[in-house]
Amino acid sequence: MFQTHAPSRADPPPETPPRPLWLVKAQLHEVHAAAGDWASAMAFCLAAIEADARRPILLLRVRKDRRAQMRMDPCGEGWAPLGLDPARLLIVDARDDAGLLRAGLDAARQSGPAAVVLETWGNLREYDLVASRRLILAAEQSRIPVVMLRGDAPPRASAAHTRWMVSSAPSSPLEMRAPGPPALLVELQRRRGGPAGMHWRLEWNEDNACFREEPILPASAEPGADEAPPLSGAVVSLAAVRAGEPLRRTA
Amino acid sequence: MARDGQALRLAAVGVAAHRQGLSAGMTLADARARCPDLATAPHDPVADSRELDRLAGAMIAFTPLVALDPCDGLVLDVTGCAHLLGGEDELVAGVLAAAGYTVRHALAAHAAAARALARHGTGHDVRALPVAALELDERALSGLRRAGLKTLGDLAARPMAGLAARFGEAAVMRLRAILGEAGSPITPLRLAEPIRLETRFPEPLARTDDALDVIEELLTRAARIMEERQLGGRRFRVVLHRSDNVRPRLVVETGQPVRDPAAVMRLLRERIDTLSDPLDPGYGFDAITLAVLGAEHLPSRQIGLESGKEDAEDSIAALVDTLGVRLGEERVSRLVPCDRHLPEKAQGLVPAAQARPAPWPAGGETPPRPLLLLDPPQPVDVIAGVPDSPPQRFRWQGRLHDVCLAEGPERIGAEWWRKRGGHIPGNAGDTRDYYRIEDGKGRRYWIFRSGLFGETPGPRWYLHGLFP
Repeated sequence: MFQTHAPSRADPPPETPPRPLWLVKAQLHEVHAAAGDWASAMAFCLAAIEADARRPILLLRVRKDRRAQMRMDPCGEGWAPLGLDPARLLIVDARDDAGLLRAGLDAARQSGPAAVVLETWGNLREYDLVASRRLILAAEQSRIPVVMLRGDAPPRASAAHTRWMVSSAPSSPLEMRAPGPPALLVELQRRRGGPAGMHWRLEWNEDNACFREEPILPASAEPGADEAPPLSGAVVSLAAVRAGEPLRRTA
Repeated sequence: MARDGQALRLAAVGVAAHRQGLSAGMTLADARARCPDLATAPHDPVADSRELDRLAGAMIAFTPLVALDPCDGLVLDVTGCAHLLGGEDELVAGVLAAAGYTVRHALAAHAAAARALARHGTGHDVRALPVAALELDERALSGLRRAGLKTLGDLAARPMAGLAARFGEAAVMRLRAILGEAGSPITPLRLAEPIRLETRFPEPLARTDDALDVIEELLTRAARIMEERQLGGRRFRVVLHRSDNVRPRLVVETGQPVRDPAAVMRLLRERIDTLSDPLDPGYGFDAITLAVLGAEHLPSRQIGLESGKEDAEDSIAALVDTLGVRLGEERVSRLVPCDRHLPEKAQGLVPAAQARPAPWPAGGETPPRPLLLLDPPQPVDVIAGVPDSPPQRFRWQGRLHDVCLAEGPERIGAEWWRKRGGHIPGNAGDTRDYYRIEDGKGRRYWIFRSGLFGETPGPRWYLHGLFP
C-alpha cells in the first residue's frame, strides 16, 4: 500500500529513522485524531492496515439511538478510489462503550475478518490496560490487526503495540486552486520495543493507487507543529527486551 | 412466450387472449398480427414448477394425497375427504379459491380419467372425450380420425388387439387407464416431517445448566436428522415447560443455515444473556422442546485439506449471528449501493444477516466523493460570492474556517421524478451545488448550497462530508 519516497530535502542526515511497519497483523494499534480529521484517520487506518484484500473489515462503533445524534457514515463511493471495496465493510453498532469493547473482543478472536477497527470517542473509561491486553491476546491468537480509532481522546496508558497521531495536511493544489489528492500528517507517538517519535507526510498517488510517504525530519516538523501534540517523551517506550516477551502476567 | 428454435411461440395464454382466438403454440408474429397490443412475458419453467410445488403444498389442506402432474397439473385424491368440507361442490370451490388461478378441474373415480376430463373435455363421461385425450402423436391421432374414430367410446367398442397392432401398446394402456379398466396409481408428494424434538423429565429439572445440557443433546439429535435430509436450520425455537405452566421460549435465527449444535448453543447462550429477566427455573422444568422452524438446503461438506477460506467465511457468519442476537439484527449491517441520485440515498445500511455483499459499481469518471458522510447534513454559516462562487469562509460548530482551495460546483438536481408534481418548474425541490473545499489546516470538506440564487430565497449551506 505504501511506496517509499526519498525525502525531497537536500542531503538528509544518514541517521534517518527507518520506516517501521504500519498497522501490522496480530497487534493492537491506537490511532488518535481530532473529530475534524476523522476522515484522514479512517483513510490512514484503512490504507495502512496489513490485511487480506478479500476478507471483510469490521467497523465497530457506538450508536446509542440510531436517530438521535449526528452520524458519520462511511460513504461507499468514496471508498472505492482508495482501493477499498465497500462491499467488504461490516458495520456493527454497539449500544455503549462496554458493549463495543466486548463486541470488538469477540470479533478480534475470529480469524475470518481481515481487520477489526473500533471507532471510539472521548476518554473511554472502559479501555484500560486489562481491556487492551485482552484485545492483544485475541489479536495474537487470530493473527489479525486490531485498530482502536480514538477521536478527541487524551492518550492513556494501554498495552497497545503502537500509537499513531493522524491529522490532515494541506494538499498540493491542482490547477484552478482545487484541492489536491488526500494528504495526511502521521506521527508515530509510541511503539513497544522500537523507536518512536517519527513524522511522515503521506500523499495519495493516483497513478499507483497508494499513499506515498515522505519523512518529516524533527528539525523541520513545523508544518503541523502548532496543532500536533508534543513528540515522544510523554510515554516512555518499553525496552526491546521486555517488549519481546509476552506479558502474560497482566492478562 | 418461449423460444422454439428460431421462432418465438406462445407458451401459455390468459383468458382474455384466449377469447381473442390466441392459443398456446402459436408464433408470436401470428399472435401480434391478430392482437397488436398483446402483452407478453418470457416463459420461466423453473418458476412455474416452483409455483406448482407451492400449490401442491397448499392443497394439503384438502387431502393428504397430492400428486404433481407436470408441468401444470395437480392430482388430488379426495377419497373420504369431501364430507369433511361439506360435500364435493364445497371441496371444489375451496380448492379453486385456494389455488387463486384460472383452473380447469374434473372429478372422476380414478386419476387417469380425472386428468383426461380436466385437460380435454367437459362433463363426466369419459367415453365422450375426443381421441386427443390419449395424447398420442399427431400421426396416430390423424390416423384414428381418418378411420372415423372420434371419441374414446368409439375406440372402446373396437377390439383392443387391432388398436395395439396399429398404434402401439401405449395407446391401449392409456385407453384402459382412462376407462378405469387398468389402475392409474398416483405418487403422492411426501411432506417432510417437521423437526420437533422433546424431552420429558421424571422429576423437574431445577438448574439452568442442566437444561442447557439437555438442549445441547436435543440439538445434536436434530443435527443428525438434518444431516440425513441435507438441511440446515435458519430458525430454532426452544420452549422450556416449567412446572407452574410458564413457558419461556428462546428463539434464535441464523444468517446461514447451520446444524452444528455448538454454534446454535452459542447463540442460545447469547440470547439468554440478553433476556431482560434471567431464565428462572422456578420449581423446575418438566419438559423441553426444540423445533427447527425454518430450514434450508445445506449439503454435507467435504472436509478439504485446505479449508482456510471456508473456515473464514463460517467464522464471519457465526460472528454476524452472535452479534446480531446480542445487539439486534439491524445493528450488524452492510453497506449496499442503491440506484439513487442524491448522495445520501445512493447507499443504504441493511442487516448483514439478510443481505449478501452487493457488488459496487465501478467509480468511473464521477467527481470525488468523501470518505465519510454526515447524516443529517450539518447547517453551516457561510460567506460566499453570489451567485455561483465557492465559500470563502464558514463557521461550523462554533469554529471559523477559512477556505484556501476550492473546487466546484458539482450540481446535483433534486429527484423531481419521485416527487408528486415534481415536473412542474419550481416544484422539484432544491438543486444542490457541491463544492470540495480545503481549509487552512488542510482539512477537506464537502459542502453544498441547497437551492440556487434566484430560484430559492436565501439558500442555506450545509456540510455533507469529510474527505481524507
